[in-house]
Amino acid sequence: MDAIFKDPVLLATVIGTSLPFLSMAVILCLTRHNPMLSSRISVTAIVVAAICALFNLAKVASASHAFRFDTAWMSSGNIHLTFGYYLDPLSALMLTIVAVVACLVQIYSLGYMSGDPGYSRYYAFMSLFAWAMMNMVIASTLIQLFIFWELVGLASYMLIGFYYEKFSASQAGKKAFVMTRVGDVGFFLGIIILTLGFGNLGIPDLNSAPGTGTLTTGFITMAAMLIFCGVVGKSAQFPLITWLPDAMEGPTPVSALLHSATMVAAGVYVFSRIFPFFAASPDAMLVALAIGTVTMLLASTMAMTTYDLKQVWAYSTVSQLGMMVMSLAAGGYFAGVFHLTTHAGFKALLFLCSGIFIHEFHTNDMRVIGKQGGRRQIIPMICITVGALALSGVPPFSGFFSKEAILAALNAQASPIWLFAGLFGAFLTAYYSFRLIFYLLFPKGGIEEKHAVHEMDSHGHKEEHHGGLFWAMAVPVMILACVTVVLGFTEHSLQGYIMAGGGAVKHASTQAAAGGEAHGGVVGHQLLVILGISAGLLGIILAWFEFGRKGASRNGFLSYFPPVWKLFDARWYMDAFFRWFLDTAIYSGLTNIFTRNDRRIIDGGIDGICFFTEAGGRIFSFMQSGMLQYNLLIMVLVAGLAMLFCLV
Amino acid sequence: MTSMEMAGFPILTAILMSTVLGLFSILLIPPERTKLVKQVSMFWATVGLILTLWLYFNFDHNKGGLQFVERVLWVKSLGIYWFHGVDGINMPMLLLTAVVLFTGVWTMWELEYRAKEFFALMFLLVAGVYGMFLSMDLFWMFVWYDVSLFPMYPLISIWGGTRKEYGAMKLTLYLLAGSALILPAIIYAWVQGGAVTFDLFELQRIGFSLYDQKILFVMLYLGFGILAAVWPFHTWSPVGHVAAPTAVSMIHAGVLMKLGAYGILRIGMTLCPQGLGYWSDLMALLACIGIVYGALVGLAQTDLKYVIGYSSVSHMGIVGLGLATMTVSGINGAVFQMFAHGVMTALFFSSVGYIYDKTHTKVIPELGGMSKTMPIASAFFIIAALAGIGVPLMASFWAELLVFIAAVQVFPVGGIFALVGLIISALFMLRVVQRTFYGEKNEKFAHLPDVSPFLAVPRIILIGVILFFGFFPKVMLDVIQSAVIPFVGSF
Repeated sequence: MDAIFKDPVLLATVIGTSLPFLSMAVILCLTRHNPMLSSRISVTAIVVAAICALFNLAKVASASHAFRFDTAWMSSGNIHLTFGYYLDPLSALMLTIVAVVACLVQIYSLGYMSGDPGYSRYYAFMSLFAWAMMNMVIASTLIQLFIFWELVGLASYMLIGFYYEKFSASQAGKKAFVMTRVGDVGFFLGIIILTLGFGNLGIPDLNSAPGTGTLTTGFITMAAMLIFCGVVGKSAQFPLITWLPDAMEGPTPVSALLHSATMVAAGVYVFSRIFPFFAASPDAMLVALAIGTVTMLLASTMAMTTYDLKQVWAYSTVSQLGMMVMSLAAGGYFAGVFHLTTHAGFKALLFLCSGIFIHEFHTNDMRVIGKQGGRRQIIPMICITVGALALSGVPPFSGFFSKEAILAALNAQASPIWLFAGLFGAFLTAYYSFRLIFYLLFPKGGIEEKHAVHEMDSHGHKEEHHGGLFWAMAVPVMILACVTVVLGFTEHSLQGYIMAGGGAVKHASTQAAAGGEAHGGVVGHQLLVILGISAGLLGIILAWFEFGRKGASRNGFLSYFPPVWKLFDARWYMDAFFRWFLDTAIYSGLTNIFTRNDRRIIDGGIDGICFFTEAGGRIFSFMQSGMLQYNLLIMVLVAGLAMLFCLV
Repeated sequence: MTSMEMAGFPILTAILMSTVLGLFSILLIPPERTKLVKQVSMFWATVGLILTLWLYFNFDHNKGGLQFVERVLWVKSLGIYWFHGVDGINMPMLLLTAVVLFTGVWTMWELEYRAKEFFALMFLLVAGVYGMFLSMDLFWMFVWYDVSLFPMYPLISIWGGTRKEYGAMKLTLYLLAGSALILPAIIYAWVQGGAVTFDLFELQRIGFSLYDQKILFVMLYLGFGILAAVWPFHTWSPVGHVAAPTAVSMIHAGVLMKLGAYGILRIGMTLCPQGLGYWSDLMALLACIGIVYGALVGLAQTDLKYVIGYSSVSHMGIVGLGLATMTVSGINGAVFQMFAHGVMTALFFSSVGYIYDKTHTKVIPELGGMSKTMPIASAFFIIAALAGIGVPLMASFWAELLVFIAAVQVFPVGGIFALVGLIISALFMLRVVQRTFYGEKNEKFAHLPDVSPFLAVPRIILIGVILFFGFFPKVMLDVIQSAVIPFVGSF
């Protein structure tokens, strides 16, 4: 305990990461019926947490070592689990991202959620999420990380199903929980195997384990692949993609915070957290690279057919997560982490802007919003365009820098296929992002003036009465837009900071990328930059040609290939497959058979025994009639039979 | 050990007597004074809880071994002893019993129909449970075990619900069939031990041949296993749960089923470690089947209590799997799971009981949208469901973690197969939560009141216990370990 008070970093960590928990407890137990107070408690807690996180970031940047604090939590036989904090450059950065985005989103929610009947509950679960997520980030052991990883999933379940009276929302929450659970069971098994085979779940210890040569490569591959299952579930990688787009049933700020910026990035975070461990197994890295690539391409195609604002960003989140996984798996450690950082900023921005549109027009359909005059909402329209430019990798926005870094990492791979996939993904990303932007800016058939006037009126009306609320939503959006513009230029200082302490990381990432370094990459450095920019611009130009320019058909080239459109629209039939599997194999398969077995065979057998016992009793009871003549008759008969038997 | 050993105040006998005295003082009250009956019940349940808590805090887990021993020779010619003691294995069980009795009596505060008989029978049942957990003498263990079984029949058939006569009869017959295996096993052990003592630890010292151990263990395993709802002897349990009134379900699923697992551990594994070694594959197989099977059948149920009943089958499978591993972590986890599951199911039945009392239905499709009508009662159930899924920082998470670590180590295939059960259990719990509590407000029940603060207290206590041991598993595991490590060492 004393150690905590002596060390300001630990003190800041403890305060910052525990306050949201207190806030949740207070809201649930005491202030449920006082929404204003609930939101104030929660926002205060997260603001303090964000300040603490920034303080820690500064401290870690200036110190030359990582901060670690461990305490024994539980022991059973030879299994000893410790809880603690491990603050190195990566976790301090992630902690800051989480705290700051959570802080902005909670302020934004003051406006977005105002008047909702579940206002207090919303802030309680947001606090639960902030607490779990921050503790997950700074966890010093894999088991502690897993515990908070599950709690983050719980918060996600609660928040997706926030409008629980809607069937689709509760269904989506359940789907998210169960699908991520599938991956988590793999993760859990990985932890069990590590506990048995290595015995030490400390994250720095795991990272230095491959170097010492105590573990065989086969064991590392198995453990890494199992842990990667967790990454697949949480970061919605192939084949567990489809829960994330469904998770958009939650309130928009929830989608911004959990299902794009932070929670779904937890998978990628874990990957980078134990990167040297992963990197020790080339097989696991190759599998991860393939899964990341497939995910990125599949999700991009799905985003090309939907008209739902949030769905587009959801698919794009999946594809960007796939890109981060690709980058890490190709040995681009810094590129992956950098893209995670910039993505957190611009994707939260995109969602929050969309939230303002949705709040204003009460629809998610980009065609309707465009028609009703979406472009007249100046602030969100500018900000969403900034976000889309960053997402498409247009310089000088933040996404450009991180995407270039990833392409460079892919370029270093021996096979050119990964680089081409990355470029193709960048092209698709730009195309579907600007398809959305042009739908908002230049709706088919122009703005419907009647609606527009009406909307203008009501908008003006709103601004008069809800001025404060509007700015609560607009200010976080503008801050994020500024961050998106600026963040890219910090690449070099960030690189120095992230790679500073990580000897093991540096070694692992050069080792993983070694295959391509030898031949100097697929294409040269300058050419790569040009290719990267032109992939993005090409996508934007195609989108302009089809949706933006005067007289454009506004259908998209995919509408000329109905089967392809249908395939993309049905999410490559992945949902249909899962549904089919669940229905035939589980519900009408095993469950049905086992239930019948219980009723018919086991219970039937037991009831049968009872029946025959009772029936036997009835039959034999005829013998106990108490009639003397009857008894005598039996006696004589038996005696006669016995004599007969003896004689013969 | 001498024939007389008493260290000061006989606290364990006092705990046992708190229920016996409770029983007799309830019998003395005129039946129409139901309020007084409940107050007296509450008083004796509180006495039991305070004594047990005192015991828990004074139990020295660094010392380990059997503590607070009371040992008096009772029948010399047969070697029967009045022999009580606590160690790390029965300490959590005592705490569980005390908590569930206390909250169970409080939950039944609104009972008016034949309250006197109800509480009297409930105290008789719990007296048997305490006796079984405390005794270290085979004769008394069997006596207390049967004492705890018989009150179930009237409790279910008089105060019960759905198909109560059928459920009561089925349960009683099943459990008596189990007794019919246990009694010969105990006599066999007594004879093979020289026909001089029923003292469990003296019999352990005498030891049995491998042949005897094989026979003894399988008899004890099946006999007690029926009560622990081991697959395929589990069907009495959901039916019984459904038929039983709330507090009885709480005690039944929360505590009584643990008697079965405790019997396997305390008698079977203590006397026949090699017998367990011989049968452990079978035990693990049945346990793994139970885990997955219980969860799968739970998916198809439409009655809330059936769902909980099948989840119990699944969770008790985890206990069986932990025991079968014969490792420190496995048995630690199994005992912890017995405790965690007991508290969790008590909370489950307690919250379903409230909903059933008000709506008079526990059929899931007829409910729906209960979160709008009874937000607090629903929250209790949802918390219990989350504990059932094994969400971290709830007590059962740690238990499952330990059991699965041990299981993957000892039975890799079975352990991984059972892990699949975790996915299914998440699916079926969330399915129930979604259909019962989410959705549009159900106008039929819109006028019904939510849990009053007074009736919320017992449920909050149960939640508090789940969370406390979820945050601080060390408090419980240190106690359990103090017995399990030497126990496993003796194999």
